[in-house]
Amino acid sequence: MSTLTIEQIAVGYGDSIIIDGLDVTIPENKITTIIGPNGCGKSTLLKTISRLLKAQKGSVYLDGKAIHQLSTKDIAKRMAILPQTTETPSGLTVYELVSYGRFPYQKGFHSMKKEDVEAVQWALEVTGVTDFSDRPVEALSGGQRQRVWIAMALAQETEILVLDEPTTYLDLAHQLDILLLLKSLNEKENRTIVMVLHDLNHASRFSDYLIAMKDGAIVTEGTPNEVMTAENMEAVFDIQAIMTECPLSNHPICLTYQSSKGV
Amino acid sequence: MIEHMSTSKTEQKKKRKFLMITAICFILLILTFIFSMNTGANSQSPSEVFQTLIGNGDRQQHLILFEFRLPRIVLSVLVGIGLAVSGCVLQSISRNALAEPGLLGIHAGAGLAILMFVSFVPVGVLNSTYFTPVFALFGALFSSFLVYRFAHKRNEGLLPMRLILTGVAVQAGIQAAMIVLTIHLTPERYETVAYWLAGHIGTTSWDYILALLPWLIIFLPIVYGKVRVLNILHLGDPLAISLGTDLEKERKILIGAAVCLAASSVSVSGSISFVGLIAPHLAKQLIGSRHEYYLPISALLGALLVLLGDTIGRVILAPSEIPAGLVVAVIGAPYFLYLLTKSNV
Repeated sequence: MSTLTIEQIAVGYGDSIIIDGLDVTIPENKITTIIGPNGCGKSTLLKTISRLLKAQKGSVYLDGKAIHQLSTKDIAKRMAILPQTTETPSGLTVYELVSYGRFPYQKGFHSMKKEDVEAVQWALEVTGVTDFSDRPVEALSGGQRQRVWIAMALAQETEILVLDEPTTYLDLAHQLDILLLLKSLNEKENRTIVMVLHDLNHASRFSDYLIAMKDGAIVTEGTPNEVMTAENMEAVFDIQAIMTECPLSNHPICLTYQSSKGV
Repeated sequence: MIEHMSTSKTEQKKKRKFLMITAICFILLILTFIFSMNTGANSQSPSEVFQTLIGNGDRQQHLILFEFRLPRIVLSVLVGIGLAVSGCVLQSISRNALAEPGLLGIHAGAGLAILMFVSFVPVGVLNSTYFTPVFALFGALFSSFLVYRFAHKRNEGLLPMRLILTGVAVQAGIQAAMIVLTIHLTPERYETVAYWLAGHIGTTSWDYILALLPWLIIFLPIVYGKVRVLNILHLGDPLAISLGTDLEKERKILIGAAVCLAASSVSVSGSISFVGLIAPHLAKQLIGSRHEYYLPISALLGALLVLLGDTIGRVILAPSEIPAGLVVAVIGAPYFLYLLTKSNV
């Protein structure tokens, strides 16, 4: 059980308010993707959900309780975050880094308990990084590294996973790898996944629910079939999109597009 | 199951490596101690040292060992530990490889306080042996408090990057003030200050050790109790929050501990600046950045560096002495440059 409800939040950086008065509920056990043009506030919304940013007004509720009133360590047992940019710390092996995911469960000076070791093993395995668990994280490629970060988030054993552009900087095959991994985590483990993706067709193909934002507000939300329409693309991205159906997922995808402004 | 075995095997391997490096550090410390006793004026052979330690030496041997050499050696080791641990903490929480206690204005503040003591307190009014460390300590704590006040913003809390930038600014201001004060000093008095600024452990006694020890006894366990938090903070703010650390609170505790360790060390040793930078770097090369291992190895290497620096400084141009801080810098700087060319930081 883990419902995320966002009520009337206002949030921004310093004096500039980016989102003002936004309500949304993240569906449980589903993959939800926030889409929208650059600067629309999608990352800001994601950061607010994951308590990296504090709402100036309104609140994010986890099972009906405001997250700033819950202990941060308790939230960490229920929600894991993969930020947009992660700087690789030097001098750590993959195993060590992934084992840091157990931090919310550890107390005092005790080293890893049996369930900690098992959680780490499992996380290494499902992300396919067991083979290089002894290698330094710095020595990995971008795609491998992203898997390791996801493994760390998985070792946290949370019902909710929040990911900010998890496929950025990866090539096509590695993007697919990550998204398939998230999909299988959702299907096999019932994880609730909330993320921001830039690739609309990936968003449509892999999500159960889409939230389309523009200028700090939600333009439309719903299933990919409801959101991925030519009208909505026009309203959100100012593009004239030619839509078709993805033969793999049967969700709508954008075949090609041109500017609405008519260049 | 097989994977489980292999992982715990590498864990064990790392633990063995840690124990081995620890043992080597201890052996090197003991060798340096023996070497230190065996050279210079009034040298004692290892067997003489042993005999004196168990109470069989003559009065002169006893005096030299217990009143001159031993305090100096013990103080070097303690100061090295304090500075290295402080540097290690600051580098990890700022995620900046160049962070070190000096950047928080600790050395500059202590230096200014000493300079003011020498400038404004007439000779003989206060016992300088006892009051220089007290002045230095308050100077160091005061300047790091200033840095902290300027760096702290109400809405955003304490950002490590701003802490470092503020530190650089405060340091520059204090150094300007020091130059103004130095102009009016007589050469003899200037020499006192210059020796202090170069980090000289020459005039020491058990009192200095007793003054430093409580700080280490309080703050080292606090820092060591936070090794796991340090691991997480080292990953950067978003992940530290994701993993459930109270960022503001932990940072305040750790910066506070780092400041107290460095300020108390500097107040009795003078301005030894390279240790806080180089010992953690060296430790990371040897054992990686998991703080369960990284922190103790940093501490041991810090101890070794200062003891080595003081010993070399004492014997290399005997009977005159080179301050330990200078020796450490002379050894440390080239090594640091070598590290920079080797790594791609």
